[in-house]
Amino acid sequence: MEAGPSAQAFNRLSILSKQMLPVADAQQLSMQTCSAGDSAAYERRTTPLDEVVIVSALRTPLTKAKRGGLRDTDAIELLSTVFKAVLDQTHLDPAAIGDIVVGSVLGPSSQRANEARIASFFAGIPEEVPVRTVNRQCSSGLQAIADVAAAIRAGFYTVGLAAGVETMSSTPMAWEGGINSRISEFPKAQGCMLPMGVTSENVAAKFGVSRRTQDEFAVRSHKKAAAAAAAGKFKEEIVPVKTKVIDLKTQAETPVVISADDGIRADVSVEALAGLRAVFRKDGSTTAGNASQVTDGAAAVLLMTRREAIKRGLPVLGIFRSFAAVGVDPAIMGVGPAAAIPAALAQAGLTTDDIDVYEINEAFASQASYSIAKLGIDESKVNPNGGAIALGHPLGATGARCTATLLHEMRRRGRAARFGVVSMCIGSGMGAAAVFEAGGEVDNLMNARATTGPNTQLSRDAVFDGICDVAGSSQSIIAKDSVHLCSAVLHQS
Amino acid sequence: MPRARTAFNACSVRFSPFNPSRIAVATAQNFGIIGNGRQHVFEMSPAGMQELVFYDTADGLYDCCWSEAHENILLTASGDGSVRVYDVAAPPQANPLRMFKEHTHECCSLSANLHRRDLFLSSAWDDSIKLWSMEAGGPPSSLRTFQGHTYCVYTVAWSPQHGDVFLSASGDTTVRVWDLRQPGPTLTLAAHAFEVLTADWCKYNDCLIATGSVDKSIKVWDVRQPGRELTVLLGHNYAVRRVLWSPHAETLLASCSYDMTVKLWDTAVQPRPLVKSWDHHTEFAVGLDWSMLSEGLLASAGWDQQVVVWHQAE
Repeated sequence: MEAGPSAQAFNRLSILSKQMLPVADAQQLSMQTCSAGDSAAYERRTTPLDEVVIVSALRTPLTKAKRGGLRDTDAIELLSTVFKAVLDQTHLDPAAIGDIVVGSVLGPSSQRANEARIASFFAGIPEEVPVRTVNRQCSSGLQAIADVAAAIRAGFYTVGLAAGVETMSSTPMAWEGGINSRISEFPKAQGCMLPMGVTSENVAAKFGVSRRTQDEFAVRSHKKAAAAAAAGKFKEEIVPVKTKVIDLKTQAETPVVISADDGIRADVSVEALAGLRAVFRKDGSTTAGNASQVTDGAAAVLLMTRREAIKRGLPVLGIFRSFAAVGVDPAIMGVGPAAAIPAALAQAGLTTDDIDVYEINEAFASQASYSIAKLGIDESKVNPNGGAIALGHPLGATGARCTATLLHEMRRRGRAARFGVVSMCIGSGMGAAAVFEAGGEVDNLMNARATTGPNTQLSRDAVFDGICDVAGSSQSIIAKDSVHLCSAVLHQS
Repeated sequence: MPRARTAFNACSVRFSPFNPSRIAVATAQNFGIIGNGRQHVFEMSPAGMQELVFYDTADGLYDCCWSEAHENILLTASGDGSVRVYDVAAPPQANPLRMFKEHTHECCSLSANLHRRDLFLSSAWDDSIKLWSMEAGGPPSSLRTFQGHTYCVYTVAWSPQHGDVFLSASGDTTVRVWDLRQPGPTLTLAAHAFEVLTADWCKYNDCLIATGSVDKSIKVWDVRQPGRELTVLLGHNYAVRRVLWSPHAETLLASCSYDMTVKLWDTAVQPRPLVKSWDHHTEFAVGLDWSMLSEGLLASAGWDQQVVVWHQAE
């Protein structure tokens, strides 16, 4: 406690002098420039600036196949609409895109790939930008995002456009040609031939998911989607589509603008769903009411390195953290998320508790509710704005659509949401999942302003090429997060 | 470079967050070892630095801190463990307004919360950190005491982005991150092999902190990756006494040291992050501050009884 003056003085002196004892120099741990040549090429050291970030994620409305507003819209129109929307939102020079990867499932392979290329021209993207498609069935849209992220990380390019599309009105699920007779020798191969609804029945039976549980799950999906639509929550992510519809009876063609999802039924009830017949198995539990809808739609997600995003002054909507695709028994393909989510989380170094929002595709209420329960996830975190049962499941687009919905929801929640997961089951027995982190910027970059005159604040090397030397003079853009830092500065500026 | 001379050895200098020309300097006789203390408030004008007011104290003053809520309120931390509240606009006989005395040893660091502006922290050589409220009519006792460090807690600093989070740097070689909502430290960072005298939060990235140590180095850490520092800044020849991130540039840091220099670092520039070094002090440089209101303006205070204000471009 209180010491006499000289004892106290001695104590203070000893504490101070301990701070001056000679110590060995702290270890030099920072990387040295390699003297063997261009150090930039030699040392690929990942910094936060190399992170793959998403700067835009948009989708078309989702409408019912064969009956909805997009039934007469082809993949070219759907894709070019979302391509153009993403480019317009970010003011990105399309020539900067390194590659376009489009998830697509049912369209004829080569034709769909060509349609994607045509769509890029419709969107004003120059011929120098290549295009390809990817097909991992229901996860194709998410796989496209993962492929672009991986290519960016591999250094193939720094800006990539991922997308997904499905036109189930014109290219429904079908099997063409004969069936290999040896499939019957391999039980797992047989599982690949099962209709999706039968796999849903298998999951329901194996894991005891009752009809009532499935119907209640379906009602919740519709209610959440209806509430979200009514609250205008989809406004930020939906891009209206200017197209035509051909009247089912008169064949008259009318120009229209489709801007809303049409699968949501706000007034659905468990009683109403209970009256539907099980369609895949006698005495089964999977009905049209507790299964995802057959739908047309598209979505696009623009990814780039964080360095590029800063250079272009684009706010970061989300950060790509990890992706995993795993295989499961084809006969119960719906368990996919239960296998893929832990794999993606492990890669990101996270647990289910760390995730604030999940978008788990509702292929069927049976598999979705099973997967959520199996992983012990709090259901209130899952599909807060409804899922495929209410919104629809345009196969190739779903992964990208869920990502757009997820990132916009996380952005609305601000600091309350840091990590999100998108996951789905995959026909033929797989699951895929990706982990995203919130961009951290809940406001658009509004406080940034260019300073005029020579830049004396930052060393030349500290400023990225492109920020310095705008229009020949050295200008720099200094973003000030003044609200958090010091309100006095805000008042002054 | 505007300069001021203090009667005693200067220990801490702080720009006012309200008034761009006002600066507070805490001083102590005989390097703070024995004797009195004096708190100065200077006004910077074209004629130089003019003393606005000063307050004498029985024991040396090791740190001072402006209130974030009221432009005339100033806090001082004393060698007798007490924290005093001054109102520079009130007549001298009214000062100090209050005294908070709970630390059992020298109180050496103060930090005012930017979000809940009646709250402030003090840390001391009694190994503890205390949370206080400056609300008028509020309790005279601390709201909470944070124990955990096993040696002097040299620096305490609120996170600029999160009103519930703060860090502490201690002679027990650790830096701890605390959260008011949690019972104990949320992170204990074994930052150096020797005493850590100072630490500060990056103003633009809420996960980055810089730590300065007796081992002469400054390390930059990401609190999400506490196993390994992001970078080490070497250049000081003696213990690093204070390290502060610039409020205006994400990657700039200033530091002052017992080697009598003040240095400016840019963490984005590798392999040579040292941008500038100033050697205007002729004794230990122990006080340092960036101005929030005047971009690029720095102030330092030293045991040579000098307070210097200058622009980082000089």
